Parts: sequence; C-alpha cells; structure tokens
Amino acid sequence: MSGCREPVSWEALVDYWSRDLPAAEQEAIENHLFGCAACSAASAGVAAITEALRSEIPPLLTREALAVLRAGGLRIVENRMAPGERKQVPFPATADLLLHRLGGLDLSRASRVRFTLRVEGSDQPIVEIDDAPFDRESGAVLLACQHHFDVFPPDTVAEVRARDDSGAETVAEYTILHQYAG
Amino acid sequence: MRSAPEPAAACYRTRVLPDELADDELVRRIAGGGLDAGQAEEALCRRFAPRIRLYGLRHLRDEDRARDLVQTVLLGVIEACRAGRVQEADKVDRYVLGTCRNAAGRMRETEARTRPLEGEPDIAGPADTIEVIDRRRLTRCLAELESRAARVLMLSFQEERTAEEIAAQLAMAPGNVRVVRHRALAALRRCFDRAEEARS
Repeated sequence: MSGCREPVSWEALVDYWSRDLPAAEQEAIENHLFGCAACSAASAGVAAITEALRSEIPPLLTREALAVLRAGGLRIVENRMAPGERKQVPFPATADLLLHRLGGLDLSRASRVRFTLRVEGSDQPIVEIDDAPFDRESGAVLLACQHHFDVFPPDTVAEVRARDDSGAETVAEYTILHQYAG
Repeated sequence: MRSAPEPAAACYRTRVLPDELADDELVRRIAGGGLDAGQAEEALCRRFAPRIRLYGLRHLRDEDRARDLVQTVLLGVIEACRAGRVQEADKVDRYVLGTCRNAAGRMRETEARTRPLEGEPDIAGPADTIEVIDRRRLTRCLAELESRAARVLMLSFQEERTAEEIAAQLAMAPGNVRVVRHRALAALRRCFDRAEEARS
C-alpha cells in the first residue's frame, strides 16, 4: 500500500469490520485509520463488501427473521410446496421476496437439517448449508428468493435432509421452476 | 424558537482545494481566518468526511446515521478550528476521532438521529459514499466460494456471530474461522475487482 509505512493488514481490517476485535485493538486501528488516507481507503474496500453482506437477506430464514422482514415492510409472496412437488412459481415484480415454504416434513425430532439448492439436471450446488435453520413447529424450511437470484438458471431443486438424534435421516426434494418478472 | 443556523462552512461553497497541504497547515489557515480559510475548511472536510463516514458505518450500523455523524462531527471540528480550540494542529486527526467517538456515543445513547438543522449544508455528499456493490455480482461471487467459506461469511455478517460462536456451530477452531473469513473476503474482493477490470 502506497503512502503508509506501517499499513494495517488485510486480516486486521477484516476483523475490524467483522466487529470481532478486542476494544484495545479496535481503538488502535481507528487511531491509525484517522491519520492515514491509504489505510482508510483500504478499509473502505473491505467495508464495501462486509456492509453489502450485512444488507443481504440470507437464503434460509427462521420464522423470527421472516417476521422482522414483514414488520420492516418487505413485500413477500409465499409459495407452499410439498415433498416431491415440481411446479412453476412466478416471482412478480411487485414483490421483494419470494418465500418458498418447503413443508410436509416431520421436523419434530430433527437435530440437524442440511439444505442444498442446485440447478435442475446438475449436481453443482448454488447454496449448501449443513446447519440450516428450520421451523420445527410447522415442519418447514423457509427459502427466501430475491430478484437478483436471476443470475442463476431458474429451474432449481431444493433438497432438505433432516437428521434426528438417533441418526435416522429423511430426505425431501422440491423442484422450483422460477418465473422471474421481466 | 430555534436560532438561525451558523453560516455554512465554506467547504461546500468552493471547489478549489489545497488538498496537498498537511493537516496542521489546514488547521492554522482556518484559525487564521484569512482569505484562504474557506478553501482550507473545504480541504479538511474532504479529507476527513470519508473516514468519519466509515466510523459511523462501523459503529452506528446505518448509512443514514453515518451521514448524520459526518455532518455533526465536521461542523464541530470546523467550529473548533475557527475558534482556535484545536491545540495540537498536527494531531487534528485525533481530535476528529475523539469528536466522532463522543458524537457516536451520544447518538447510540439517545437512539435518536441527530438530524441536521434546516439550512445546514450537506457535508456528507454523494462523493463520500463507499463503493456500491452490485447485488447480482455479489450473488455470483458468493456462489464461487466453498460452501463452508460462504457459511462463515453468512454467520459473521448476517447473523453477527463472533468467531467463537461460529467455531462452536461449525465444529472448527476459532482461529480457523478467522482465517476462512480473511480468505473468503479476499476472494470476494478479487472477484469484484475482476468484474470492475472487465467492465473498464
């Protein structure tokens, strides 16, 4: 980095923006950043990404997170699906979020749920979460699609693997054929 | 009845900037109140506004509140410079940071936005915004990461978990979580920079 004899490292800037630093280290970094244009610019480069990540809605939601989004005024369209179902689902331009309720599951004794979203006809996962959040009460996983997911092919297969404490596993697949507006 | 706002700091009225001057020289020129004091104010604002904005984003977690912080802090600093209250001109960066910490603390305590008074200049103008990340590009870049790295980023930034909490959830060592996070963010940065290069 030009213009700084002792630049703050990438790792330190990431920890700083992760809000995962002891107070003393955080203060030391801030003391440096306020006096150093080069490191401040580097910090902005990290912040651009971390704050973009923070503003993203995660692909899987808890019931509580969904309630927060609703309370915040997000326009949400819901699509209920049963295991093995394959259907076309329009994503209207007037909605901010297309919420797929991947239901029909007995999650009452589930200890861990693994979720995978892949393009239909492909083994390549788009999203893969080993410890997926799930709604035990309603027996559903809540998949939240946003308009910018149209960067992926629209025909997708969601797989939910639920495991209980005894090690027994149940698997359900849902084939979602997204119809993005525009 | 609210009193009339202070005259706008000159940083918003002129466009000729002595950006090459050191901090202490800018402070001295502002305090001197000479013909070039206005340009010095503008240069000081341009220099510190992005840093205050970042501090605000980091601590107040909100773009609007960060902009308000820029406004509040710069007005306070400029007034202090004009009044000769910045004793150590070569350490004005520390003065700005101290003002930031105090103002952000007050904003957090009250949980109220300190909205600028009517008629005050907009210090935190569009030129100060940090790079806007394209959401489609972000989605693509995230999909290129290994699933564990993407999960660490999600837990870190969307669920605000510490490295220790993530380590417990994903059966990793906390140090390993940090390493994965460092590398994943570096990969995202490279992915964005590649896209920028391709565009230009």
